[in-house]
Amino acid sequence: MKNKRSLFHKIIVYTAILSIAAPIMVLLLWSFASRWAWPKLLPEGFSLRAFDELFGPHSPVMPVLLSSMGISLGVAVLSAAIGTITARAIALYDFWGKELVSFGSILPIIVPGTAFAMGIHVVFIRLGLADTVLGVMLVHIIYALPYTVNIMLDVTRLVGDTHEVQSRVLGVSPSRTFIHVSLPQLMPGIMSSISMAYIISFSQYFLTLMIGGGSVKTFAVMMVPFIQSGDRTISSAYSLLFLASTAAVFIMIEALIKRFAFWRDKTE
Amino acid sequence: MARLYGKVSKALGNNHIMRKLEPYVLLLPFMLLGLLFFLGIGNALLQSLGYIPALGLSELTLSYYREILQKPALLDSVKVSLAIALVSSVLATVLGVLLCAAMVHTGIAGGWRLQAIKLPILVPHMVVALFAVTFMSQNGLLARTLYQLGLLGSQGDFPQLLYDKNNAGIIIAYLWKEIPFVAYFVLALMSSVSSTLGEAAENLGASRLRTFFHITLPLSMPAVKKAFLIIFAFAFGAYELPFLLGATLPKALPVQAYVEYVNPDLRHRPYAMAMNSIMLLLTLAISAVYYWLLRKDFKGTGGGQYEK
Repeated sequence: MKNKRSLFHKIIVYTAILSIAAPIMVLLLWSFASRWAWPKLLPEGFSLRAFDELFGPHSPVMPVLLSSMGISLGVAVLSAAIGTITARAIALYDFWGKELVSFGSILPIIVPGTAFAMGIHVVFIRLGLADTVLGVMLVHIIYALPYTVNIMLDVTRLVGDTHEVQSRVLGVSPSRTFIHVSLPQLMPGIMSSISMAYIISFSQYFLTLMIGGGSVKTFAVMMVPFIQSGDRTISSAYSLLFLASTAAVFIMIEALIKRFAFWRDKTE
Repeated sequence: MARLYGKVSKALGNNHIMRKLEPYVLLLPFMLLGLLFFLGIGNALLQSLGYIPALGLSELTLSYYREILQKPALLDSVKVSLAIALVSSVLATVLGVLLCAAMVHTGIAGGWRLQAIKLPILVPHMVVALFAVTFMSQNGLLARTLYQLGLLGSQGDFPQLLYDKNNAGIIIAYLWKEIPFVAYFVLALMSSVSSTLGEAAENLGASRLRTFFHITLPLSMPAVKKAFLIIFAFAFGAYELPFLLGATLPKALPVQAYVEYVNPDLRHRPYAMAMNSIMLLLTLAISAVYYWLLRKDFKGTGGGQYEK
């Protein structure tokens, strides 16, 4: 009886994992398929056509991918930094308007993106921020902040300020205290914030389209027309590149965390 | 940033009044960005009331809302968005909790299987739309599989799931992304409840099913409710999937709003903004509920566990 029930649970979990993995596997197949007509279950031939097109000498893909990754990394680092100090204010201080701030910090998750995008578009035109990289980065940061503030709040509450107070009592300056005492403890949270903010910025389509207005090309904006067009080979290759580049950035961040942990062990 | 913080605290010194200002200094960048956010939303609301001085419109009126709610075509957009959001988020919540419970009971709360479950959270909606096309279109893999099994006569016999009024494709695509999200969001709380109070109940002789419905699930509800509200609000206001997989008519609200927004006739703009504002007001009502839940329930549940 017990075995049967646990078998049922296992079936649920593995069905979920299979349903998640299947489309990603098929994405891989489609990227390299030269011909895959109805009603074949597997491609009839393979080719590198999509990758020739993506990485060919006249293709704009690589420059756009790299600049897009640059924008998103910038957004990620800034969002993590703002998330860290905002969470610090909420977690360690009592001040008037605290409730309002923590309510406000979740709003961008809830408010529909189109309402904000169209409303801010007009404002940005007046401020000269429309169609600029700065404008795009600003709206991306606004959308990443709910996540980074939330992550940093958990970490900051966990760490508390007891070590910091000790360090200050022993006469260490505030800036040294922050760098040598608080920052190392917050680092895992900061790295998670950077990853989360990166993926939010890198996936952003509608906001970038509105605020960037075609002059700021990100990888997400570039690939959507291909998905619309119905060329499954090309759009699969774009999607694959999207996922692979994100994975590469995440692996890099993971490696940084490990290096950081090593460095911290050495200094202690 | 660290240097800035140091400078700021040094400048503020030990003065008590200045101390009180410290949190506000830390909050400054957040406040400035918040201001931008409210400028955007406020502007959308203002334009929805017909206030666009640049177009010579300066009288506040509710007529755009009234028209939207009276025109059957536009009212259909409201209904489409509500239907997509409700069906997808209710199903995703129920199935996500089921998946979460299965993960807790089989002890799969870590390792590569958890990483696999987390994967859809990282896949953007436009790629999910591509998945939907490769699997659910009439010459997609599902139709091909049924055909090969002899269960389908021809392509045309496969139900139209994409670009159709039934919006089935959009809902299934959301489920692919949201079920794992709900499971992951609830996992931390449910596994801690289950390993403490749940096991205690079982030791006292309660059946597993009874334990789940009377102990584990009720105590996990704070995270479940939050997850539901987040995915409902998102599915109601998101542009990508309805844009890539939706029917030509009626369009979902965000897509229809964009159509009105880019109309060369600028007098359509208040309609776009009124549609946005309908979404905005509904989701703001939801977020008020969200925040109320957040304050009522004990703190530190869900949300923070996006990371790792």
